[in-house]
Amino acid sequence: MRSPASVSRSRTSRNRSARTRIVVSALACTLVAGVTAGCGSGGSGSASGSGTIHILVYGDTGNTVEKQIVDTFNKTSKVKAVLDTIPGANYQQKLQTIINTPQAPDVFFNWGGGSIAPFVKDGLLLPLDSFIAADPNLKSAFLPSVFNTAVIGGKAYGVPMRGTQPVLLFDNKKVLADAGLTPPASWDQLIADVQTLKAKGKTPIALGGGDQWPTLMWFEYLYDRVAGPGLFEKALGGDTSAWASADSQKALGMLKQLVDAGAFGSTFDSVKFTDGGSPALLAKGKAGFELMGSWEYATQKAANPDFTKTDLGYSNFPTITGGTGDPNDVVGNTNNFYSVLKNTKHPDAVAQFLKLMYSDEFVKAQLGIGNLPTTTNTPQFLTTSTDPAYDTYQYNLVKQAPSFQLSWDQAYPPSATTVMHQAVQQFMDGKMDAAAFIKAMQSLPTS
Amino acid sequence: MTSTTTTLAAAAGRRRAVRSGVGATRPGLAWAVPATVFFSLFAIVPLVLVAVLSFTGWNGIGAPKWIGLSNWTALWHDPVMLKSLWLSALLTTLGVVIQTPISILLGVWAAGHQRNRAVLSAIYFVPLLLSVTAVSVLWRALLDPNFGIPSDAGWLFGNGNLLGTQSGSIGVLAFVGAWQWTPLHTLIYQGGARAVPQVLYQAAAIDGAGTVRQFFHITLPQLRNTIITSMVLMVVGGLTTFDTVLILTQGGPGTDTTISAYYMYQQGFLSFDFGGASAIALVLVVVATLISLVMVRLTGYDRMNSTAEGL
Repeated sequence: MRSPASVSRSRTSRNRSARTRIVVSALACTLVAGVTAGCGSGGSGSASGSGTIHILVYGDTGNTVEKQIVDTFNKTSKVKAVLDTIPGANYQQKLQTIINTPQAPDVFFNWGGGSIAPFVKDGLLLPLDSFIAADPNLKSAFLPSVFNTAVIGGKAYGVPMRGTQPVLLFDNKKVLADAGLTPPASWDQLIADVQTLKAKGKTPIALGGGDQWPTLMWFEYLYDRVAGPGLFEKALGGDTSAWASADSQKALGMLKQLVDAGAFGSTFDSVKFTDGGSPALLAKGKAGFELMGSWEYATQKAANPDFTKTDLGYSNFPTITGGTGDPNDVVGNTNNFYSVLKNTKHPDAVAQFLKLMYSDEFVKAQLGIGNLPTTTNTPQFLTTSTDPAYDTYQYNLVKQAPSFQLSWDQAYPPSATTVMHQAVQQFMDGKMDAAAFIKAMQSLPTS
Repeated sequence: MTSTTTTLAAAAGRRRAVRSGVGATRPGLAWAVPATVFFSLFAIVPLVLVAVLSFTGWNGIGAPKWIGLSNWTALWHDPVMLKSLWLSALLTTLGVVIQTPISILLGVWAAGHQRNRAVLSAIYFVPLLLSVTAVSVLWRALLDPNFGIPSDAGWLFGNGNLLGTQSGSIGVLAFVGAWQWTPLHTLIYQGGARAVPQVLYQAAAIDGAGTVRQFFHITLPQLRNTIITSMVLMVVGGLTTFDTVLILTQGGPGTDTTISAYYMYQQGFLSFDFGGASAIALVLVVVATLISLVMVRLTGYDRMNSTAEGL
């Protein structure tokens, strides 16, 4: 019910057809304008400019550290680095529109896995093997479970930057204490806790189902604990029979059991994480648990500082008896990465720039803004972070993890996201049974 | 008296004819060039490009790949596409059905001379000044099942799972749309109602017609063209609704509120399937054009007879 200007009060038949054309063109422009406007707004300039490399990053508060690192680099380098930022949440969309144009950067921020897979497939990215051969630290200075996220087809395409974001089971210590509970170590204990909290009139587990991706986290952990990371890797590799396997059915059955036990209440699809709905449930004591990425801590700290200081608890996802997955495995966003365009004019300068990603200065600066870098020298500086206990816990969790599964919606190519998100939402609210869910997952494009 | 007027008019007509005959030429084709260029650049060219794209597979990187009719056959067998058209039609219809009676009544009221009318009208038009995004974010917070209105009014909202069910989320979208746009249509009806000649009401009053009879026998018939205008606006707006869906439901739960415009966005900018999105866009273009033509024919909007005839 928008755009009253697109209808004119006209009398003649000529004007009348003009009006319908206005409607028509408005619709058509929506698409095309969107595509072409993206091309013009990259703002990164030409990569062929003499003696400069362009570093493209997601434009948010993390940019303070990136600016500092670029300044440090420029002090000693003849080839100067220029930092470009794309503000807002449309980073991936805008990157996609400029990556194969003269506006493409030399180095760009990404999430590894599926977020760069289409670029690798189109031969746009530089494998970093030669960089690593010249400087083994570019690989060995990072935790292996994290570094491997940006390895595609046996070749490394990214160097970790910013921090890791594992998914943890957060809890409200006060709510648990009032109910005589402690964080659950096993699945059975979690089910028992759910029943106790429900009897106390609480929503046992806060879930921002309206955003869909928080729901996905439950699938990721259950599949990993029940079957280990192999099942998902097999499915991602194109063997869709993995989704129909006994382990897959078992994981879905357990999820159903949890939903039917009332673990998430009855309104989870009307609640979002992104507008503060589900974090508020936890902070205000209306819910006992929330499964969320490590950014939950910063989110709660900003919205509910007192709660975060005294009552925000966290633990690893419970073990599942009979499951073949390692209880130390974690899932989430392993890290952000810098990848390099194949047609960069200054590969040597880029290699020098990437070395800064494991420098002491980088680690200290990241910890200073609340990010947790996954370099091997990180532990030396953990005491300087804003919350050493939380960061140490997270770092050890990631370090000890035999496998760190990248979020499914990041591991699959972007074209799979919508169908995947809809499937997990519909399975959780009972509109899709296990067979339909398996069918939906088997239909996802893997490349 | 009559003959004087006729003579004057004839004289004026002669003067005009003389003046336009000397020096002035009829507007040539050149006058249409700027408009034609802009129209081609911003309407025809994009439309043709979208049509071409709909026969390609393109993820936004590199060159589009020609894949023939694949997008179209996929769309033909796509249950979500059909559902999205149905949902677009449903939301549009709901918009018209809900907003038309309310805005006619309010518009006619606001056209009167009651005490405090101006003040109340000013407050009433506030939603019109807010951006659709702000309105959607506002209602999303107000309707939160745990912290919003539903948590305090369980007798009305049940468990408050408004955005987690299909009927609830469609209801919310229709309501928010009405909340935002009824003021605009009220404004249009206010203008229409003010233009109704007062003599009609005076004559009706002398004949003993009350307020209700006056409304149904004078106001409503006189507003005929205004009603058509307002409904055309509602239909066009309804078919292109996008932002409320993006913010309030994201097409969910599942695909329960995935209207065509949002589906196009989803395919293009979330799944990076610009070929498929172009096909959806073309379907929307065709559907919107057909609806527009049908409306114009059925309502007689093209004839646009004056309601003031015979006065």
